[in-house]
Amino acid sequence: MIGWLVRRVLQAAVTFAAVTILLFVMMRLAPGDPLQRLTEDRPMAPADVARLRRLYGLDQPISTQLGTFAAAAVQGDFGTSIEYRPVAVADLVASRIGASLLLGLAVLLVNLTLGVWLGVVQARRRGSAIDRWLTRLALASYATPSFWLALMLVSFFAIKWRLLPAGQMTDPLLPSDANPLTKALDVARHLVLPTITLSVVTIAATMRYQRTAMLEVLRLDYVRAARARGLSERQVIWRHAWRNALFPILTLFGLWLPLLVSGSVFVEQIFNWPGLGSLAYAAIAARDYPVLMATTMLVSAAVLLGGVLTDLAHLGLDPRTRQA
Amino acid sequence: MRRAQLVAATLLLVTRAAAQQNKDTGTITVVIGAEPTTPIPTLSSGKANVDVGNILFLPLAWLGPKLNTTDEKSFVPALARRWTRPDPTTLVFELDPRAKWHDGVPVTSADVVWSLNRARDSAISKTYARRLRDISSVAADGPGRVIVRFRQPYAEQMYDAVYHVPPLPAHLLDTIPPDRLESSSFVTHPVGNGPYRWGKLDPGQKLELVSVPDFFLGRPKLERVVFLIARGAEAQLNLLLDGSADAFEAAVLARQITSIVEQPNLRILTNPWLSVSYLLFNRTAYGDRTKPHPILADRDVRRALVMGLDRARLVRAAFGPYGAEANGPMGQASWIRRIAPKQLPYDPARARALLRTRGWRDLDGDGVLEKNGVSLTLRLAYPGSNIPRVALAEPIQQMWKGLGVQIELSRLDGPIWAERRGKGEFDIDFSQVNLDPSPSGLVQSWSCSGVGASNVAQICNPEFDRALGNAVRATTNVNVLWRDALAALQADAPAAFVFTPTQTVVVHTRYRNVIVPADMPWAQLWRWSVDPAKRLPRDGR
Repeated sequence: MIGWLVRRVLQAAVTFAAVTILLFVMMRLAPGDPLQRLTEDRPMAPADVARLRRLYGLDQPISTQLGTFAAAAVQGDFGTSIEYRPVAVADLVASRIGASLLLGLAVLLVNLTLGVWLGVVQARRRGSAIDRWLTRLALASYATPSFWLALMLVSFFAIKWRLLPAGQMTDPLLPSDANPLTKALDVARHLVLPTITLSVVTIAATMRYQRTAMLEVLRLDYVRAARARGLSERQVIWRHAWRNALFPILTLFGLWLPLLVSGSVFVEQIFNWPGLGSLAYAAIAARDYPVLMATTMLVSAAVLLGGVLTDLAHLGLDPRTRQA
Repeated sequence: MRRAQLVAATLLLVTRAAAQQNKDTGTITVVIGAEPTTPIPTLSSGKANVDVGNILFLPLAWLGPKLNTTDEKSFVPALARRWTRPDPTTLVFELDPRAKWHDGVPVTSADVVWSLNRARDSAISKTYARRLRDISSVAADGPGRVIVRFRQPYAEQMYDAVYHVPPLPAHLLDTIPPDRLESSSFVTHPVGNGPYRWGKLDPGQKLELVSVPDFFLGRPKLERVVFLIARGAEAQLNLLLDGSADAFEAAVLARQITSIVEQPNLRILTNPWLSVSYLLFNRTAYGDRTKPHPILADRDVRRALVMGLDRARLVRAAFGPYGAEANGPMGQASWIRRIAPKQLPYDPARARALLRTRGWRDLDGDGVLEKNGVSLTLRLAYPGSNIPRVALAEPIQQMWKGLGVQIELSRLDGPIWAERRGKGEFDIDFSQVNLDPSPSGLVQSWSCSGVGASNVAQICNPEFDRALGNAVRATTNVNVLWRDALAALQADAPAAFVFTPTQTVVVHTRYRNVIVPADMPWAQLWRWSVDPAKRLPRDGR
């Protein structure tokens, strides 16, 4: 088990290093100059642009830039942002990651509870009107573009009915000495629309995966045996069947782990959510290489971590995998 | 006795309630498009930094409402309470002795001298050194007087001395090496001298400024100023429409105005603005600056293109009443706009005739003109992130199609557009500049001396340069000389000047005494107040 884990982590580390190098080179080769942009709307002396180019090492060959970046990155130094100069990238990412984690966790929570429950309900009532309607709804929500849904929710809930805020994570005028409960409720209000937007689009996959997995499990003999023993339907479903129908969902959540750190770029942008997604969006638009590298590396790490954690969860829950 | 006490208590309550009702203090939330990470004069770039910096740091004097950069009398005292001119190359400023930094230390001549001399040092910033190149020395005469000397007499001496470099606190900064200033803690926690001091920056969300109660020009009525950071145009507008924000400044398209007008608690204020957009004709071949452009090097072709464009219609379609046709390389707010000659008029018939005289004909009947086997096809580059330019690109293509000119649209990602522009990889570039109030900035973008730098189209017209030089150095007949310079530029048709948007400021109706200068929109927030009858809970008790 430990040997397996070490091998798996080493594999992930090698993949991470390869992805990082690839990202670095691709970003530098892509067209667009981050410093030329600074002269877009106001004249700036070429000598000052050249000074900044030297400061960011952009006048060096890509191999030298990569070496410098890697040497600093292993010490946790990702340099200084170009767009948010002079803020250090590590500080910038640290200031945004909390918002993304909060949004990602809220979405995962909705998926884990509502999505899984609806999937189980569909499986239990296979072929019924509820199953058919939930399937249609799931497909419709899957096909809904998140940016369109976000704009609709804002139009009605924020602008027309003024029930919820259109953006930001907190009320801008909430006093800093407000009590923790007021602050928590304020964040919760701001969290509602972005969470709904992201959940509506992702919940369909959870429902479909859970439904299919449950249908397979419900056909198995041990479920029939559990029923024959006189257990209540609730016990049969949630205690016996559901546990074995969890594997596809675990895999799905492993794949969704990056959502925890990256949020959704467009949804964060529309709701002005101060997370890593909106930071990455701004970095892409500005070709802010240091910020872009840090955010993409973080997402890569989350993807790889998700894979390792999923495998670990499978190992923990399914004895057959351990034997293999 | 008891009755008297009762009457006194009632009177006190009534007075207090009346005072409460007449209270005109409050708060304001303003939407800005980026995070102000460096709101320090001379260090900052980008509108958000500059806008916040203009609240934290006062200049020696503000420009007057007409933004006239050559009229010394129209400047409004700020840190300097008065100024005198002992001779044509010297200005003496007398600082207001009441002015203080936010740490309580008085503002002195040492601060002004240190700041101006730092900015003049070309080893620190070539951009500022060039702007201040006509200042020969800055010296203190006691703690309250500053003497600025100039190399020669010219009309914009006052503007150069006061506008570019608001003083910084020398007592906090003079020990920091110049190359470390940008990464010092002063940048993240600036100490200014303006009506508001730095409060707290929540990264990605908001910046809070807090009023300085003993601000020497008057106590600010708005006690908290919160800048909400929102990048996308849609997100910015939504914050305003859902009531989270109280104010917003931008160039607004006609279709966006509708949603604002529907809100009864919002009002729209307009100002002439300093921004201008134009279609810049490249003089050199696409991506090769050693060769002349095969089509656009011909002045008559450029003139025909200008005449083939119905600018008034384009502006109406995009901005409705919130924009104006440009008549030169300056925005609506620039004082030279009033004296500038008109651009070549819209006259497609004359444009077609002019192209014919230059040998351009449609020989194969495909609707596109040709000459010596070369088709009159040009690439128009513009940034996809700029909504007005995106909205106008196709109508422009259609208008020029009517002349027999084929336009290929290159909608580019911002950094790619900027990179190509810098390298001269364009035929026609849909440019936009936010100019300083001074027309002297035209030197960098339109004269031979700007070639290799801001003058990306490699325009070099000695006649215009001569006229521009005369205008910049003039002390008398300033208007006539500027008119001559602009006429020389327009005759050469280096660009088709398309539109200059109106500064649109959307403000909650509860604010009074709303003053929004075109060059520094939020610098006068300290003069605003709240109508006592319309106060909201968020304005405080």
